[in-house]
Amino acid sequence: MKPIVRSFGMFVRQIANDGMLWGVGLAPLLLGVMIRFGVPYVETVLSGYLPGNILVPYYQLFDLVLFLMTPYMFCFASAMVMLAERDENIAQYLAITPLGKKGYVFSRLYVPVLLSVPASIMVMLYFSLTVWPTRHLLEGAILMGLLSTVVALLVVSISRNRVEGVAVGKLSGLLILGLVVPYFIESGFQYLVCFMPSFWIARYFLDGNILFLLSALVTSLVWIALLFRKFSTKLF
Amino acid sequence: MIHVQDLQFSYTSHPFIADINFTVPAGEIFGFLGPSGAGKTTIQKILTGLLTGFKGNVEVGGIDLRKSNRDLYERIGVDFEFPSLYEKLTGKENLKFFASLYKHHVAIDPLLESVGLINDADKKVSAYSKGMKSRLDFIKALVHDPDILFLDEPTSGLDPSNARVMKNIILQLKANGKTILLTTHNMYDATELCDRVAFIVDGKLVALDTPHNLIISHGASTVRYSYISEGEEKTITTALDKTGTDALLLQLVKENRLSTIHSSEPTLNDIFSFLTGRELQ
Repeated sequence: MKPIVRSFGMFVRQIANDGMLWGVGLAPLLLGVMIRFGVPYVETVLSGYLPGNILVPYYQLFDLVLFLMTPYMFCFASAMVMLAERDENIAQYLAITPLGKKGYVFSRLYVPVLLSVPASIMVMLYFSLTVWPTRHLLEGAILMGLLSTVVALLVVSISRNRVEGVAVGKLSGLLILGLVVPYFIESGFQYLVCFMPSFWIARYFLDGNILFLLSALVTSLVWIALLFRKFSTKLF
Repeated sequence: MIHVQDLQFSYTSHPFIADINFTVPAGEIFGFLGPSGAGKTTIQKILTGLLTGFKGNVEVGGIDLRKSNRDLYERIGVDFEFPSLYEKLTGKENLKFFASLYKHHVAIDPLLESVGLINDADKKVSAYSKGMKSRLDFIKALVHDPDILFLDEPTSGLDPSNARVMKNIILQLKANGKTILLTTHNMYDATELCDRVAFIVDGKLVALDTPHNLIISHGASTVRYSYISEGEEKTITTALDKTGTDALLLQLVKENRLSTIHSSEPTLNDIFSFLTGRELQ
């Protein structure tokens, strides 16, 4: 346990010494403020010009994006640190210390994901636009954590360095598009993105059907299983 | 201390490492010599548990690597060919962090002092020269006082005086009973440091013996002498074991007419080339 604690301490230290990663860490709070206060204000302004509610039907979608932001940013920071440590041959070195490969991945990826669960719930409690039952908060935090793990694995697996990692991180935003699809496409065409865990997450919170929750879990775990081998080979 | 039997490994469908067998007893410096891409670093990665999926039996410090556990990493120290250091931290901070991962570790300052880095201990590693990084990386492998050391090109990129310092430390570690597996393509380091060397070519072990035995058993020592004849200097080379029957040499000695005479032993590089048809450097 001691090596994992020390290794996580070094992870935090690296983030603290990196201006960009500070910004990444603060992004969920900034987005929270924008959504909590900005969206209702825009709705009020639009309502003055157009009949009915314009943004209110999509408040849950705003909340889902906000919910995802904390684990997503935690995992993006994790991916950036891992890429830097790979560039400096440190990941490989840590693998032959008592930390080991598993301890390294645990301290760099799983611990941030686990921490993102309470952090994302806190963000939701303070900034969400709709009311979220406790059960949905817990389920959402876990699902968003798994989805963000996929993003981190993807960034590390296909990037050759930190610069590419930033670019891939932006591209990985496409994986999140699945959140939007069920809110705008009602026909069967929406299932074209059924390979995205984010699609099933949105379907679950829209319909409450437990099968969609299971689909979100399965698609996330399949992505993680597919990416993990390449991720591990790339790091060590 | 290290036991390897029928080791095979492949990155692709074609075998890369095949039929490697050797044993390294405690307190020995064992050298892996071979050209780049021969498989030396791959074998080191297997022995340190970084690469799995190999065939055969590999034991390091009595631990079967197919059932590898964390105890192995308390007992081995590894110095990779390329530095693995946090550039934004100081040299001392780096050592303190890596030492903190182990159950037991030694004092940091004497280590820094041993490689001449004590005055640069509080500088960020990003400000270190290549040689300073190599030296810091080397002592990083010693912070937990390991029994077994894996050193990959430890003198690479060092100036002669710092290379000397490193070699003295390696010899001192051997004197203290450490087992050292040295991977190098530097025949001079191998000849000086290693008790035994293994030649690796194309993933296969082609020879294994002491440097002295390899040189004696495969190489022919020669004697080269020169003399003046009809106003011109002439040079002759003859095998050392044929000097007694070299009539010209005997006559020149008798007449005290030799201008120069030198004996010459083949180097490990010569033996490597003789056995494999390849060059080490």
